[in-house]
Amino acid sequence: MFLNTLFFLSTFLIFLSSISLVTTKNIMHSCIFLLGSLIGVAGLYVTLGADFVAATQIMVYVGGIVILMLFAVMLTGGKDFVSRAQALMGLIPAMGNKFSTFVGILTAAVLVISTSKLFINLRSAIPQNKMAATESTVNKIGKLLVTNHVLAFELSSVLLLGALIGAAIIARPKKIF
Amino acid sequence: MNSTVVSYLTGFEPVKQFIAFLTKSLGFDVTALLTFVIFFLVAFVIVNIMAAIGGLGTYAERKISADMQLRIGPNRVGPYGLLQFLADGVKMIMKEDITPRDADKFLFFISPIFCMVGVFSTLAVLPFSSGFTLTQLDVGTFYLIAISSLVGLGVFLGGYASNSKWSMLGGMRGASQIISYEIPVTISVLGICLLAGSLGFNKIIAQQAGLPHTWFIFHNPFAFIAFFVFFTGALAETNRAPFDLPEAESELVSGYHTEYTGMKFGFFALAEYVEVFVVCGVASALFLGGYNVPFNLGGDGLVGQLLQIGAFVSKTLALYYVVIWIRWTLPRLRVDQLMTVCWKYLTPMAIFNLVGMAFWVYWFNGKSIFDLIFAAGSHAAGGH
Repeated sequence: MFLNTLFFLSTFLIFLSSISLVTTKNIMHSCIFLLGSLIGVAGLYVTLGADFVAATQIMVYVGGIVILMLFAVMLTGGKDFVSRAQALMGLIPAMGNKFSTFVGILTAAVLVISTSKLFINLRSAIPQNKMAATESTVNKIGKLLVTNHVLAFELSSVLLLGALIGAAIIARPKKIF
Repeated sequence: MNSTVVSYLTGFEPVKQFIAFLTKSLGFDVTALLTFVIFFLVAFVIVNIMAAIGGLGTYAERKISADMQLRIGPNRVGPYGLLQFLADGVKMIMKEDITPRDADKFLFFISPIFCMVGVFSTLAVLPFSSGFTLTQLDVGTFYLIAISSLVGLGVFLGGYASNSKWSMLGGMRGASQIISYEIPVTISVLGICLLAGSLGFNKIIAQQAGLPHTWFIFHNPFAFIAFFVFFTGALAETNRAPFDLPEAESELVSGYHTEYTGMKFGFFALAEYVEVFVVCGVASALFLGGYNVPFNLGGDGLVGQLLQIGAFVSKTLALYYVVIWIRWTLPRLRVDQLMTVCWKYLTPMAIFNLVGMAFWVYWFNGKSIFDLIFAAGSHAAGGH
C-alpha cells in the first residue's frame, strides 16, 4: 500500500517533469524540471529499500549537480542562451540534424533491446507487497566499499582528486609552466 | 522496519485493542489507514508547532536585540508583545503580492517553496524524543544534510528569478556560501558518526546519556573542536550574522529577497528561523546528549517522553539564544573573509578532527576522556 503509493507518486513526478524538461524553451526551467525528475528517481530507490542510495541521490544531485548546472547556465548567458535556437534551426549538428537524430534513435533502440532482457524477470524477482529491505543498507555498503570494491572506490577518489587539481590549475591566475 | 512514532504508539496495549476493535467493527484491516492518520496528525502538529517556534523566533530576536541595545522592543500586541508575530503574519498575508514585470514568473513562484520544503522536510528525522520522532531513519544525519541543501537552491533561484542586480548578487553569494560551508559541517558530523558507529540520530543519542560528561562534545578534544567548527559552519549555512552576506542590508538592500513581498517573503523569513531551530537541534542531538534526561528520570512512559522533549527543546533553545546573541554582537564579514574562514581554517580543522577522532576510536577503543581519567585515577589509587 505504502510502497505502491510512493511508486506511483515517484513515477508521476518523473513522468511529468521529464515531459516538461524536454518541452520547455527556457533552459533554467529545464534545470528545475531535471531536479524534479532526479528527486523522483530518489523516490524509486526508496521503493526498492535502498535508503542510503536514495539519500545519496538527493545529496549529490540536489545539493551539488543542479546548483552547479544553474550556475553554469547563468554565467554563460542564462535563458537567452542562443545555441538552443540555433539547434532548432539545425545549425549545430550535435544538437539535432537528421543524421544525429537517426543515430540517437538507433542508440536508444539498441539500449532498450539489450536492457529489456534484464527487466523481463523483474516482476517475479521482487517479492510483492513487501518492504524490499527491512534493515538498513548502510552497513553492508560500507563494508563492501572497503573490502570487495576497495579498488573501484580508491580509483574514483583519485579521479575526483584529479578533477579538483585540474579545476584549481585552470582557475589559477598565472601559468606555472 | 524503522522505528517511527507509529510503531511507538502501536506498542501500547490499549492502542492494540483499539485497532483490533476497529478492525472487527469496520470489517477491514485498519492498520494501514491508522498509520496514515497518525503520521498525518503528528506531522500536522509538528509543522504547526515549528511554524509557531519560527514566529516566536522573530519575537525572541527582536526582544533580545532590544535588551542588548538598551531598548524595549515589541511590547504592544498581547502580554509582553508575545503576539507580535501573529500580527506580522496577518500583515504579510494582507500585503499585495507583487511579481516584478521582468521576473521569471515560474522560478519566482517556486523558490520560496524550495526553501520551505527543504527546511520542513528535515523535521521528519529531527529527534524530539525517543518515541515522538516522526521516523528514525538509519541514514538520518545524511538525509538531513542532503534535503536541507534545497534551501541553497531556493536562495539562489530567488536571487536569479527576481531579475534585479541586488537579488542576483545575494543569490550568488548565498549559493556559494551554502555549498562551501556544507563541507566542514558534513565532515564534523561524520566524525560524530564515527564515534557512534551509526548515521542514525537515535543510535547517536543512545551512545550518550543525560549528564554532561557522557556527551559527545566532551568525549575527546577533537570532538570539542568539532562542535565549534560545526556551529560556525551551521551559522553560515543558515545565513545568520556574522555570515548574513546574502542579505547584507548595507550593501544589497535586502539580498535575495529584495523583490519579494507579502507571504512569499514570509516564507523565506519563516524558513530561515525554523532552519536555525533545526540546526540547533542537530547540534544538541549530536554533541549535547539530545533528548537524554539526567538519571533517566521518567523512564520510557509518557512522562519520560515529555521530559525528553523538554530536555531536547531546552538545549536547542539555549543554542538558539547563542545564535541570536552572536548575531547582535559580531559585525558582518567581507566576502573574501567568508571564503577564507571556510576553506583555509574550518575545512582543514574539520579534516584534522575527523582523522583525530578515527585515531582516538582506534587507540582507546572509543572510550571517552573521562573514562580514561577515572580508570587511571582508580588505578593510581590502588583499585583494579
